[in-house]
Amino acid sequence: MVKIKVAIIGTGNIGTDLCERLLADHRFDVVALIGRRADSEGLMRFKGRVDHLLHDGAKSLASIVGNLDGVFDATSAFDHQEHWTICKENSVWMIDLTPSKIGDPMVPSLIEKSEVFNIKSQKVANYSMVTCGGQSSAALIYSFSKHSKNIQEIEISSSIASLSAGPATRRNIDQYISSTEDLGTRISGSEKVKAILVVNPSTPPVMMRTTVQMKVDEANLPLVVNELNSLVEIIQKYVPGYEVTIEPLLSPEMILSATVRVIGSGYYLPNYAGNLDIINAAAVETASLHFEKMRK
Amino acid sequence: MLLQLKQLVCTLKKCENRKMVQLYDVTLRDGNHALRHSLSPNFVAEYCQLAENSDVWAVEVGHGNGLGASSLLVGKSRHSDFELLSQARQSLNKVLLGVHAIPGFATLKRDLIPAVNLGVDLFRIATHVTEADTAEKHIEYLASQNIMVHGVLMMSHMIEVGKLVDQVSLMKKYGASAVILMDSAGYFLPPDVAERVDRIKQSLDIEVGFHAHNNFGSAIANASTAIGLGATIVDGASMGLGAGAGNAQLENIVATLVRTTNSEADLSKFLRMSEIVENQYPDKLPRPNSSSVQSGMSGVFSGYAPQVKNISAELGIDISLLWDEIGKRKLVPGQESMIREIAQDLMNL
Repeated sequence: MVKIKVAIIGTGNIGTDLCERLLADHRFDVVALIGRRADSEGLMRFKGRVDHLLHDGAKSLASIVGNLDGVFDATSAFDHQEHWTICKENSVWMIDLTPSKIGDPMVPSLIEKSEVFNIKSQKVANYSMVTCGGQSSAALIYSFSKHSKNIQEIEISSSIASLSAGPATRRNIDQYISSTEDLGTRISGSEKVKAILVVNPSTPPVMMRTTVQMKVDEANLPLVVNELNSLVEIIQKYVPGYEVTIEPLLSPEMILSATVRVIGSGYYLPNYAGNLDIINAAAVETASLHFEKMRK
Repeated sequence: MLLQLKQLVCTLKKCENRKMVQLYDVTLRDGNHALRHSLSPNFVAEYCQLAENSDVWAVEVGHGNGLGASSLLVGKSRHSDFELLSQARQSLNKVLLGVHAIPGFATLKRDLIPAVNLGVDLFRIATHVTEADTAEKHIEYLASQNIMVHGVLMMSHMIEVGKLVDQVSLMKKYGASAVILMDSAGYFLPPDVAERVDRIKQSLDIEVGFHAHNNFGSAIANASTAIGLGATIVDGASMGLGAGAGNAQLENIVATLVRTTNSEADLSKFLRMSEIVENQYPDKLPRPNSSSVQSGMSGVFSGYAPQVKNISAELGIDISLLWDEIGKRKLVPGQESMIREIAQDLMNL
């Protein structure tokens, strides 16, 4: 079997979890892990397990890009631009885990159902994983909007454990909100989308939860429930800890709502970090789907 | 007890030599919780005209959870923040116009910058007490534009005192010129307030404010204690109009200041403000009741009261049990959707 040759750039929480995840996945060959400091904890962890542990950011990427099928970028929106230029020139696809908004938003569970999400037919591609709130709410937004009429407004509220909210999320909370809202619009077609993020510090840490509420004129609740169940089955194949905790309800005020919980798989990050898990799981799923399509 | 009271009076008297206490009126913001966010522009205008002629330092206006928080999750505003703020702006001149804004609900682009353009004078950027760094960008931006910006630490009982100082220090570093401690759950008693305000004043050079809730009937005592220990901004609401058991009654704060310090605030103006609130909303006035005592004991955000009440009634769950379990799970403001899940769990026990 031909393995998918990839590099990961970025050795923070996301990059480290991704590297563990890909090393455990027989479909992938992790050729390189690229950081910024030779002695960084993130790089040292993989000594002897990843062939090339490099520490010169974009320069390292340029030196090795010829040996790769694809690259996962877990750095920053700012650095992603340069990394993408390098990959594009070398016909290497990218999975963008930064909030750069350069890549095409991708929710792998919706590829089969929604025409909004497509795996590209050319080799060069850049897929954005958007946000954890976006990934976790997508199935709810899709099933609600497909089986209702005249959406008045949509709300996506997520709560995550304080320990799982890294400095980048904290500094860029506004960016998180606008990216999540844009994805909601893309899926539902409605411009009236509001995202809310709450960071909860309690111990033991809370599991990530996302609630979607959608005010509509008409809705077919049984069809919503069926649609959601079928999507949850698809998602659970790559995010085993994805679960509906409050089944879809339709209130007398015509508000559809449901809540999901995401328990992480615990590759590197603890299982309360479902928010990071769902992003990384979506990244790996997207990469394998893209690779498969290229082979055919 | 008597000794403590004597000490309190002494400390209050010391205020005479300090900076005047600034009265921050949250009636038209926290009060919007009690009104289920139904505040009307007409009442804002009427209230602000009275406030403008009083010794209030600033009036805060908007949705109960602050700018941009109108939502299905925490409650929709009948009139948008901007309708209310425009009305207030027309009526306030000498008195400052303030807003409360929580990153995660409000964003710079959608909410804060438009509010700057509308002429809001004072921004309070609020986070849960452990999460000050989610406000870094917002505070920094406003400070860089030379706009008056204060930090707010909500649910301030949910952290040990040493760590509280660290969070205050972060907000100061970002550019907040004052930090307000909110007792959002109404959990504090005077000694809790004294310890916290005192430690911050001893550790950092920053102006401190205090925002009380009246779950245990100690809102006025808490506010007075904060002032006694060096807080220079004190929040109050006419008739205590606010979430849960309500806030410290502004007119009682003023009465206390007049009795115990050389404050020259004109109490009659405040009584007029409290009268129009009382006349306009006779059936909405908050007071400590069995539910709010329980929520205070459980240390739960006062703004949850309506939803806890509704869900406990809908599912037939004892409201005390529900408050208690929410407290144990340490929910923070904005997790309203968890109330139903917790209630379901209780039913399955």
